[in-house]
Amino acid sequence: MTKQLVIDHVSKVFGGLKAVADVSLTINQGALIALIGPNGAGKTTLFNMLTGESGPTTGKITLSTASGDVDISKKKAYQVAKLGVARTFQNIRLFGAMSVKENVLVARTHLYHEDFLGTVLRLPQFYQREHDVGAAADELLDFFDLTAVADEPTASLPYGTQRRVEIVRAVATKPQLLFLDEPAAGMNPEETADLSRLIARVREHFGITVVLIEHDMSLVMNLAEYIYVLDHGAMIAKGTPQVIQRDPQVIRAYLGGDSDA
Amino acid sequence: MLKNLRSKLSWLAIMVGGFILINVGVLTGVINTFIENALVTVGINIILAVGLNLIIGFSGQFSLGHAGFMAIGAYATAIVTQNMATPLGFYLAMALGVVIAIVAALIVGVPTLRLRGDYLAIATMGAAEIIRVVINNLKITNGPAGMFNIPPLASWPTVYILMCVTTVVIVNFIHSRAGRAVMAIRDDDIAAESIGINPTKWKLAAFVLGAATAAIGGSLHASYLQTIAPSDFGIMNSISLLIIVVLGGVGSMTGTFVAAIVLGIIDTALQNFGTLRMVIYALALILLMVFKPSGLLGRYELSFGRKRRARKEAASS
Repeated sequence: MTKQLVIDHVSKVFGGLKAVADVSLTINQGALIALIGPNGAGKTTLFNMLTGESGPTTGKITLSTASGDVDISKKKAYQVAKLGVARTFQNIRLFGAMSVKENVLVARTHLYHEDFLGTVLRLPQFYQREHDVGAAADELLDFFDLTAVADEPTASLPYGTQRRVEIVRAVATKPQLLFLDEPAAGMNPEETADLSRLIARVREHFGITVVLIEHDMSLVMNLAEYIYVLDHGAMIAKGTPQVIQRDPQVIRAYLGGDSDA
Repeated sequence: MLKNLRSKLSWLAIMVGGFILINVGVLTGVINTFIENALVTVGINIILAVGLNLIIGFSGQFSLGHAGFMAIGAYATAIVTQNMATPLGFYLAMALGVVIAIVAALIVGVPTLRLRGDYLAIATMGAAEIIRVVINNLKITNGPAGMFNIPPLASWPTVYILMCVTTVVIVNFIHSRAGRAVMAIRDDDIAAESIGINPTKWKLAAFVLGAATAAIGGSLHASYLQTIAPSDFGIMNSISLLIIVVLGGVGSMTGTFVAAIVLGIIDTALQNFGTLRMVIYALALILLMVFKPSGLLGRYELSFGRKRRARKEAASS
């Protein structure tokens, strides 16, 4: 399998706190992996480093793109996004005043161009571009079953729908790699099952590599092919769901207890 | 396409209708010189406030430096047209003012737009003050005395047409790829970055476009009033423009129009009240803010396309 993202001895230090300590892992193209661990284990910090939101203190992150390998550890978030890395957020971050469709359209900003004169004079090419990008957005909304709420401002939508809008917005950037930060948080079991099917469909249909952080073990265990476990910033276990479920270190990290016990 | 055409024709009809209405008023004498002055002031205020609303309401940057860019446009026009008192000279002067304002906005924007909220307001206020102090001390701008006998090359039709043009340009900018990027940054800059939007670039684009329209407003101001002084472009002028934007509704261009007109009417109606005028004016503002804190129109926009769609939906259901 081809490597998509190589994380090489990455650490992040906040003052005296080592939030992520010397983590290395390789994500293969097309994989669906999960990152789990107790609260404060450094999962989101790791996500933030991988998406360029705040770079690592030490270590190297290499992304494979169509035009070769790129070191993204020093790049800004918008540059990483343009290279094909998309994400959702633990606390939903939508453009609340904008409609669902506009949230999708704006995610395509880097994929097309509208020149200033054409825009302000409303030349035919402007309408052509708007039509094309609008059609692509409609298609995506249809795939995510959001057509009915396309013109609603996102702030007025129910929580579960907002989560789905955040995923469609991330997918709209045409990513190679998608990071989902606790997509099932606050969802009931039925919504979680729907979400699980949606993630599988997205991965299959768009051929995107998916990495998710999740506390909902039903989602993780039936979706992820491979699981990495973080605790206190360090990777304590990795393996298939079956292996992780029986790993004594993982059980200890979740349930507590003395390491000598 | 048809929907676009219908909406476009509706807007054109409003613009032409407004022009004819004022023209008839002027020809029949209903609009005397006093009212015409008031109307032109409203028109110039609209040009300035629409640009400021782009910066504050749509890109979410609290700028208090609008009068500085206005001053650049005004002085460029005064200096050029005094040496070239022709309509061509006027438009060249306006173009020059716009170019200088764009350069100034880039110089001000690159370091300050990383600031947020109050910090940005103070930084832009400082930048406008620097522009004013420079003008105050240059020989070519005639220092604190200001410039007078500026050739009157901007009549009310010029102001009216340019008001329409700048509004169309800015509204079209908002309803496009650029406008969506700008509003995304306003709503959540971290999320905007996560989908590949460069915040600095788009914030700067909105700031520069706003500054360019301020220069056009300043240019008309200079040519219509024929006298300008550095004191015309102080912090109080930036604030009075801010009042129009906030009163109309931050993020509503229709609101900016309504607020500029309402304030123009209040201002004109209170001309005879002497010093009491400012008290009543201030009281009106306070009352409006108490009872309608989101501004007269909130974020409502007059739109023909949307209305038609709503009607169609109502008809089909």
